[in-house]
Order: sequence, then structure tokens, then C-alpha cells
Amino acid sequence: MSAETRPRRPVSNLATPLPEPTPAPTPAPPPTPLTREKRPFLLDFFPLETADQTRLSRFFERLKEGVVSTTRCPKDDLLLWPPRTACPLCHGETLEWVDLPGRGHLYAFSAVLGGAPLGMESEVPFAVGLVDLEGAPLRLFGRIEGRPWNELHIGQPVRLESYDIGDGRWFYRFRTEV
Amino acid sequence: MNVRDVALVGGTTTKFGIRPSTWAELAQEIGAALFREMPELRTEDVDSFFLGAAEPERFAFQSHVAPFAAEQMGLRPHRIIQRTELACASGQSAIRSAYAAIASGLSDVAVAVGVEKMNLPSMAEANASMACVMDRAWDGPHGATAPPFFAMVAQRHQLEYGTTDEQMAAVSEKNHRFANSNPEAQFYEKKFSRDKLLRLPIVAPPLRLGDCSSMTDGAAAVVLVAADLARRYTDRPAWVRGTGQYSNFHNLANAGSLTEWTGLRHAAREAFDRAGIGADQVDFAEVHDCFTISEIIEYEMFGWAAPGKGGQFAADGQGDLGGKLVVNPRGGLLGCGHPLGATGVAQAVEVHRQFTAATPAARAVPDPEWALVHNLSGSANVHSVMIYQRGGAA
Repeated sequence: MSAETRPRRPVSNLATPLPEPTPAPTPAPPPTPLTREKRPFLLDFFPLETADQTRLSRFFERLKEGVVSTTRCPKDDLLLWPPRTACPLCHGETLEWVDLPGRGHLYAFSAVLGGAPLGMESEVPFAVGLVDLEGAPLRLFGRIEGRPWNELHIGQPVRLESYDIGDGRWFYRFRTEV
Repeated sequence: MNVRDVALVGGTTTKFGIRPSTWAELAQEIGAALFREMPELRTEDVDSFFLGAAEPERFAFQSHVAPFAAEQMGLRPHRIIQRTELACASGQSAIRSAYAAIASGLSDVAVAVGVEKMNLPSMAEANASMACVMDRAWDGPHGATAPPFFAMVAQRHQLEYGTTDEQMAAVSEKNHRFANSNPEAQFYEKKFSRDKLLRLPIVAPPLRLGDCSSMTDGAAAVVLVAADLARRYTDRPAWVRGTGQYSNFHNLANAGSLTEWTGLRHAAREAFDRAGIGADQVDFAEVHDCFTISEIIEYEMFGWAAPGKGGQFAADGQGDLGGKLVVNPRGGLLGCGHPLGATGVAQAVEVHRQFTAATPAARAVPDPEWALVHNLSGSANVHSVMIYQRGGAA
């Protein structure tokens, strides 16, 4: 493959300008009760979140405030997901944090009815989907809570929420709009 | 730069399935099978060794697997020895690496092997290992494994093009039927009609059990040599004529369209251009049917079916014996099972067998000249393609 035919931008859906950050979504719901057993690090999907382990700890601090954020390259006007420490286009390392819009619509969804990874068996059945964010050129993958998978439809409005995974760490997911 | 011609001169596979064998025992078994299959091959001939293994650290808690496997197989490679890892395409990566090594002159005789042991006492652990193929920190915690991802691909293809569950079942029926003529296939003795397939339980809507390939144990091996050595091993070499590969994203957020696999179009173009042939000249193809919807989209991306018409192509039997070309005569991943690292190597073994008329009539492609092998890996974010031409005493 010659250099000319390779797209210069890694993904085309990131090419449009970043909109103004929308207000923070509604406050996070009460923390999920601790249902996950403590697992060895190499069998635990959830990332390490603290500043001694990652340069992206601000993402997780912001999650605790109910907001999902990410990084943006101001030089390339490029919104990046997942958050990163270097721009894939200009390779600059001075990225800025922006809050993501809290709402979106289902682009596609399915559900895990069996064959779940270790630690998620008790959550079966669960729905997952790709969500087009409202007002940002991002399509995020995530767990879809709120309604069972067979009551979801493409275009379904959903909102981002953060939640306590039970051991001091936080993560994000989607919930169907009421 | 001068590139030497490279021939695939032989190979074989173990039985695929749920095997009461360790990773190391599978490696020994494929070594024994290879030297039984090719008595003219001497261990001291083999200068290089490429081992395709996707997740031995996970499934067998074993690293440094290339020398580990070489010892099991009785090999002492003295030019290049390495493992290739590209998830579901690890096996084809081993073959491509062997091809590159021989073409460049670094190697003369190389063995490419794939080994995977996936069935463990705890299948939840195995499922967790499969999920590591995705971006585990960002996609993994949501429960991203292959079935729900390819289910979303199927959902979008059904929405955008009207593809049906029945058309997907047609792919599965064909590949399981071909597997009924392949004793090494996991589902050699299992019969699946379209009606039966449509009654199997849903795994990840809209995908049913019969739309998904299995967790499988198995190993496969092929031998590639420089052109001037081919006659030493066979009078029917399979010449490597073209290859291409493309990777354009990893995190699911960056997939773009789920139904237009641009990376596959790029990889196919490169492979066809290098081979100097067009898609219409392919007599049979071993493509990556990890899920039925994958094969349907691959019909379209290779140009055998019009955009959006892959489902109809399947329902019309255009990928079957007597159709436009024969797709997955080995039985595919659906019928043979999918031991990640072994799959790509076993597909190449099928090319050799078809070219040497070593297959039962029920899956024999009539007088094939050109064969194509394709693997996707991960969430279809990488595509790998090889094209072979039959040589020798035809």
C-alpha cells in the first residue's frame, strides 16, 4: 500500500470541528452495590485509574463528578477517543481536556446472552451498543442500561452516566432516556 | 530488489475440536503429522520457523512459544525463529512472514505453524481472554467480545440492505455441509439444515449459535520453500502470487461504517495487483467466516457480490459448488472451528489439498488454478489476504 492511498487522518468521523462542551449531564445515580469480586489485575478489564499508574487520571477524577471527558488536539482540531496522551495525527503531546455531550442515540446494539467474560457472568443478559453522541463527532461503544435489549431500537435516546464499580474506581456507561 | 518466487509445498492439520490435549501436545501432534505427511522433509532442511499463536499466555500461561513449539516439533531453526501474533490472523501472519523471509533470500525452507488451545476448565476465563483482543481498558469493561460486535455488524447490514436471518443461515448450512466431508473439522459428524440453524438459541441478537464459529483446540503446519527447491518436495507447488494487509482502527469507537470494510478493499486490491489477476479469476476462496455476516460482507468487499447483495449471493448458492466461485470448501471457521492461530494455516493446507486433488468429491473444486485466503482479526480492524496459483504437472 503506497503512502498516497493511505488516509492521512486515522478516522474520518473525527474530522469535524469540536462543538462547545455541553453542560454536565444529570448527576450520577447512587453507586451500584459492590457485586464484583476482587480479581487479579490481569483478569480485570477495568483500567487502573490513579495518577501513579496513568497520565489520564483526570478522566477518572472527572467521572467521579458525573462527567465523561476526553482529550482533543488543539493543533489539529481533532477530538480523540479514547483519551490519549499523544495526537495520532501530529504526534504532539499537548492535548487538552474537554467534557463530552451527555446525550446520544443508538447507532447499533446487541446483547450478551451467554459466553460472558469472567466476572460478568452474573450480569447476563446485558445490552451493549454504539452511540452517536449529540453534538460531537464521536460514536462510543458501551453498556446500555435501563431497558432490556429486546425493548431497544436503533435511534433510541440514551445518556452517558458514570458509576462506582465498587472498589473506589469509576467507569461510564449509557442509560436509556426515560 | 529481486524478490524470489516462493512455493507452498505441503502441510497438514490436527483434528480440530475440543481436544483432551495440552498446548504442547498439540504442537507435538502437528510435528508428527507434518513429518508423516512429508517424508521427504528432513528436520535439518528447515532453516526458519514461524509460529502463529494468538493467546498462549492466556490459554496456556506460556510465553516464548516459538522455541517451545520448535522443541515439541523436533526443529532447530538456525536463521529465523519467531512467533507471529495477530489475533485471529496469527496463522496467516506466520505464512506471510515465511513468504517474506524466503522471497528476500534470508530463508530457503521455512515451516509456518499455528497452535491454539482454547477449551479450558473455566470457559469464563477463556471468554475473558477473547475479550482482550479488543481494547480491553475502554471496550472490555462494557463486555465487548466478538459476538456482540459482529451482531451489531449484522444488525446494520440487515437495516441497510435487508439481509435476512435466512440468508445468514445459508452461509452456515453451506460451510457445515462442507465440513461434513472434512474429518479434521470440529463439526465433521454434525448435520445442520437451514431450519435447524434458525431454531438454535440466540447468542447475541440477531446472531444464533449457528452463526458463530467455536472455541476450538487445534494445530496446523505448512512448508514454504524457495522456487529452486520446490521440486524436492512436490510436483504440485502452490505459488504465492500476491498478498496484502491493511489495518485502519482498533478501538470500536473508530470503526466508522460497520458494513463497509474499507480495510478489506485495500488489502484485496494490493493482493490482486501483486498477483496480476482480478477477483473474477479466483476459483475458490478460504475466507474468514468467524460469523455468517462476515462471509456475506466479504463476498461484497472482494467484489464477487454487488454492494449490499452478499446475503442474496449466499441464498442463491453463488459461493457453493456450481456457483460463481467456491467459498470455504474446507468447511470454514463455522464448520471446522476456530483455533485462532491454527485457522490461517489450515486454510492454506486446504489450498494445497485442493491443488493436489486430495479432497473428497463433496468439496472438490473442479480444476482450480487460483485460490485466495483471507483472515480478518479482532473487530474486522485488520484484513490479511494471500493469493496462490497452482503450479506443476497439470
